[in-house]
Amino acid sequence: MILQGKRVALPAAPVVHHQFEANARATPDAVAVVRAGQQVTYAELDARANRFAHYLVARGHGRGAKVGVCLDYSVDLLVAILGTLKAGAAYVPFDPAYPAERLQLLLGQVPGLALIVASPATAPMVASASVDVVDLEQLSGRLAALPEDSPGVAVTGDDVCYAVFTSGSTGTPKLTAVRHEGWFNLMNWLKLEYGLHSGSHNLVVSAFGFDLSQRALMTPLFCGATQYLLASRNFDAMMAYRILTDHDIRVVHCASSTLYVLVDWETARGGDALTRLDYVLFGGEALKAERLTEWARREGNTCTLLHQYGVAECTDVATSYDLAAYRPGEHDIAPVGRPAYNTDIHLLDEHLRGVGPGEDGEICIAGAGVGAGYLGAAGPENAKFTTVEVDGAPVRLYRTGDRGRVNAAGELVVAGRMDAQVKVRGMRIDPTDIERALGRLDVVKEAAVAVTYTDAGETELTAFTVPAGDAPTEDDLRTRLLAVLPRNMVPARFVNVPHIPLSPHGKVDRAALVESLKRGL
Amino acid sequence: MISDSVRAIWCRELQRDDIALDDDFFALGGQSVIMVKIQGAFLEELGAEVPMDQMFLNPTVAAVSAYIESLGVPAP
Repeated sequence: MILQGKRVALPAAPVVHHQFEANARATPDAVAVVRAGQQVTYAELDARANRFAHYLVARGHGRGAKVGVCLDYSVDLLVAILGTLKAGAAYVPFDPAYPAERLQLLLGQVPGLALIVASPATAPMVASASVDVVDLEQLSGRLAALPEDSPGVAVTGDDVCYAVFTSGSTGTPKLTAVRHEGWFNLMNWLKLEYGLHSGSHNLVVSAFGFDLSQRALMTPLFCGATQYLLASRNFDAMMAYRILTDHDIRVVHCASSTLYVLVDWETARGGDALTRLDYVLFGGEALKAERLTEWARREGNTCTLLHQYGVAECTDVATSYDLAAYRPGEHDIAPVGRPAYNTDIHLLDEHLRGVGPGEDGEICIAGAGVGAGYLGAAGPENAKFTTVEVDGAPVRLYRTGDRGRVNAAGELVVAGRMDAQVKVRGMRIDPTDIERALGRLDVVKEAAVAVTYTDAGETELTAFTVPAGDAPTEDDLRTRLLAVLPRNMVPARFVNVPHIPLSPHGKVDRAALVESLKRGL
Repeated sequence: MISDSVRAIWCRELQRDDIALDDDFFALGGQSVIMVKIQGAFLEELGAEVPMDQMFLNPTVAAVSAYIESLGVPAP
């Protein structure tokens, strides 16, 4: 079973920053970025990014280099990203809301990291003996002396534009690389298919480390529109809602959980800022339609909800579905729709042969968005990028591990996982990664982490710990983990157990632990 | 006292009644979605606009109450 996306020709060199540069030439005085009342035009942003690109090239960090960016949402963050791309390099986002220990672990995973752009507020967290950390503010004197035109580094659609961390199953986060062609194709599809234009102003509401944030950051600049940034390190519903109310924002990209929070905020206070949007593009977990139904039916609601599916390994979004067509009674699961331009979805069995119509198979993604693979130590996991023969021709695709089928209307439905990969509030989580962090605590001898459900049916993480001495309290364990892991990886519950059960194959028997919890042991 | 009102809001949203003035929100098992509800309650019930970054910097009843007092919000 194959779902084919529309074929739409791309430029000979589909390079993301070329589109931004074309916009800067066409509308130099248009506002590119707004943050806390500060505005920067396309011409200014382009000139600042060019200077930083010259700086990188002069330091030998040109084509093929990797530049870390650990900044709060700011004009400098966009200068760093665009400057990196213009130098022919790829950027790696580091979320400044993460604990320093986590950031250090992540930056150690980037092979050949050239340099990290930070600010006085973030630099101490990424300080490293092996990598230079620079602050654009401190460099401003030097940058001012550099040319404000493009360094003209030749880049192709096959060059890597960014790489983001994603959870694996081995206990270590993986760095997955995206190519210019894929990112260009994604934004070109959103622009043409949904009619995004220079008035499609955007507000970023997601954390910088996620793949969806890269799209949220670049799409308005790709379309010639204005990007609004929150002057906040953490997602701030009050601040976001005020900006949506006070400015002519048309588009928001977010995780499902963030959309529910914004809808609840609006519903509780009776505003209409969300209903006035053109689009919310969201996804990442199975739709909870009941969280949106009442809001969606509000009179005068002109906001189109695009329910999307994709993976970081294949440039973030692979399919999209307009929820206006969704009838909860008729569909068991909300579809995620049809493929992006130049993107095909293959549903394959375990022998990598296509399944029949309506049958479940592994969702595999082929086409422009297929990324450059995992970088560095995650090499063996690159086997998930493979080539199959379809009608006698080789097709490169990525096996997502998600299970899906095509419904009668020809739309993709995501039905679950082929393996035990875990998602909590839409975020991929690797329990082994958390178990390792717990194992490093001196109060814990052994630990296992499993997914459990709240009374309300929400997924959450429960940690089962074997104490190394006196049993630590739940609050104590949580505090210790918060110092070393991102908040969304810290389990909601901690349970002391006498030992960790193993399955007959010698693996941690998480199911038995969850069962013991149900029995109230 | 503002801290009494703040503590009552925390107890309600975290669904526990054993919260001390210097207990850490996240150590109590608080999640960011609960923090958004507390932010909304501060706005509606105390008339106080507390940015999320301030909630993270002041993660105890005592600290966030002091922050709200510094805004000059009259006690309810």
